[in-house]
Amino acid sequence: MGQFFLQSAWLIPCYALIGAALAIPWSPAIIHRTGPRPAGYMNLVMTLIAFVHGLFALQATWNQPAQEILIPWLQVAGLDLTIPLELSSITIGATLLVTGLNLLAQVFAIGYQEMDWGWARFYSMLALFEAGMCGLALCNSLFFSYMILEILTLGTYLLVGFWFSQPLVVTGARDAFLTKRVGDLILLMGVVALLPIAGTWNFSELAVWAKTANIDPTVATLLGLALIAGPMGKCAQFPLHLWLDEAMEGPVPSTILRNSVVVATGAWVLIKLQPVLALSPLVQNAVIFIGAVTAVGGSLIAIAQIDIKRTLSYSVSAYMGLVFIAVGTQQVETAFILLFTHAVAMALLVMSTGGIIWNNITQDLTQYGGLWSKRPISGICFLVGASSLVALPPFGGFWAFLEMADNLWTTRPWLVGVLLFVTVLTDFSVMREFGLIFTGKTKQMTERSPEVHWPMVLPMMVLMGFTLHVPILLWQWQLLPSWETLNKTVALLLVGASLLGISLGATIYLNDRWEKPITLVWKPLRDLLAYDFYTAQLYRVTIVFAVAVVSQILYWIDRFLVDGIVNLVGIATVFGGQSLKYNVSGQTQFYALTILTGIALFGVLLSWPVLSRISLIIGG
Amino acid sequence: MQLQYFLLIAAALFCIGIYGLITSRNAVRVLMSIELLLNAVNLNLMGFSNYIDPVEIKGQVFTVFVITVAAAEAAVGLAIVLSIYRNRDTVDMEQFNLLKW
Repeated sequence: MGQFFLQSAWLIPCYALIGAALAIPWSPAIIHRTGPRPAGYMNLVMTLIAFVHGLFALQATWNQPAQEILIPWLQVAGLDLTIPLELSSITIGATLLVTGLNLLAQVFAIGYQEMDWGWARFYSMLALFEAGMCGLALCNSLFFSYMILEILTLGTYLLVGFWFSQPLVVTGARDAFLTKRVGDLILLMGVVALLPIAGTWNFSELAVWAKTANIDPTVATLLGLALIAGPMGKCAQFPLHLWLDEAMEGPVPSTILRNSVVVATGAWVLIKLQPVLALSPLVQNAVIFIGAVTAVGGSLIAIAQIDIKRTLSYSVSAYMGLVFIAVGTQQVETAFILLFTHAVAMALLVMSTGGIIWNNITQDLTQYGGLWSKRPISGICFLVGASSLVALPPFGGFWAFLEMADNLWTTRPWLVGVLLFVTVLTDFSVMREFGLIFTGKTKQMTERSPEVHWPMVLPMMVLMGFTLHVPILLWQWQLLPSWETLNKTVALLLVGASLLGISLGATIYLNDRWEKPITLVWKPLRDLLAYDFYTAQLYRVTIVFAVAVVSQILYWIDRFLVDGIVNLVGIATVFGGQSLKYNVSGQTQFYALTILTGIALFGVLLSWPVLSRISLIIGG
Repeated sequence: MQLQYFLLIAAALFCIGIYGLITSRNAVRVLMSIELLLNAVNLNLMGFSNYIDPVEIKGQVFTVFVITVAAAEAAVGLAIVLSIYRNRDTVDMEQFNLLKW
């Protein structure tokens, strides 16, 4: 029975796709009479089916070796494009995480999107994402992973651009698409270059090949750099991170999905490519460097944001940076655990703040305050999510951090420093957010703030329960370090860093006597962080400017040089006709002269051999 | 060396005729220039007939034909000039440039 579910695991992405197709008829233009709600309910059912299917499949694959299904797609000349699906506990588990989080996000959206007409579009986009991510999780081929990444890029464009009548949404969707597209395109170069070198796109075969591969270091470096560019854009790593900030213009329920799992798609591919990246030490260092810079930068920026959603989005960038570090230092398992714990915790945080936004309207942190007594459930959910995100034992995130720091302790101690720094900053950041939202004096916007209705609270509570169980699950899966091998120094350092961050945040933001807004830091520095290192301006004066200038020049060349040459032929012909017609002077005598001149010239031409000899004789 | 002189004179006459043909403003003078051309040709024909074909004198036969045809042509030419004159009240060639571009 379980084997049957396992063998038909390829259906898991298909359920969501069916849901996406079924939702479309309830677009306002097609079915006007019933309202859009059935679209959401159907997608919910489809996601539930996919989730249950995944559960059964997981049972069948538990403690079993990975199986592979091959789905024939295309065979041309020398190229065999068969879709390999890997069915292991990890891949099925990933689909479970995706479908589970999507289920919760969709229930949440029933509440959140209550007064919205675009359910059909919204739910089919969510379903497309679910299908894409499940497909990505199952797919064991770099080529098809790339295809799915591209489809998800398009999905991001459509989902961020959901409320397209808002100008900021339009620019945000544009940036999200283009930024991720640039990364994906460079990834495509890597993908295409990899085939002649390795001879395969299959991840497991690539790993085998990479063990014994003997290729030119320059080639390996260039290849690796191209391969990390895609995940860099996907995971919102520096310097391709602006899109995640602007993607916060999209609806909150989609943000749940994006912050927790969509950005993780890039990390997933990166993790799977780890053996290939390990071929070049330079690439590994680049991955570590990008990850470290993003982790530090992202968590610094997160502190200086006043937008409730953007505060979290920069933490997402920072955590994806940590995943990059883990991959760069060859800790595949740690990376998976980090992705898992981060996804769960971040989804909970976004849900909690999404519920807050829903009935306080504003997203401005400085307008919040004093919600703890009115919104206990959201507050507790926020606290659990935050504790689970940062390195605070015994919650989930701690164990990922612990394992990572433990592995880094001997090899690259400075990365432990980065880890501790990120811990302190993220602690401070979530504490700041908590303090500003839930404590302090009630402000005008939070005067009356009832707890949200059940469709939003229910998924929040369920996810909180799951988040609390994450350490138990990790323990169940024997992913926790045993007490004997525990590196106590590292553990103490992490706990100390957490406590430092929390107490710092608490001192400043839980303290009513400390005047808000805080003006501790030198103002230019504060602005630098608040405006995201002025990345938007940086893009504008570098890439955007260069492309704009080049396209202007090319436009000019095309408009005036290329078109001009062709037009010149026409103009010259017209000019020739217009000017030569004056030869027809109307004077008969002129015609006679022309005829005579013609005859004379023709005569000279005919008798030229004779004439030239005469001149020769005369001259001689 | 007689023939060359005849030919040179005929060529000179022809050139004078051409000069007159192209520069004259009076239409009748243009016809006169044409007559000069024809007579230059006739001189040629006579010269060749005399020095190259003195027995059969085919050139002289040609000349006779040219003279008769030229007379007819001059008559028709004068008729045309007359008809133009009736319409336009002038024989100035420079006034007859209506059929231009």
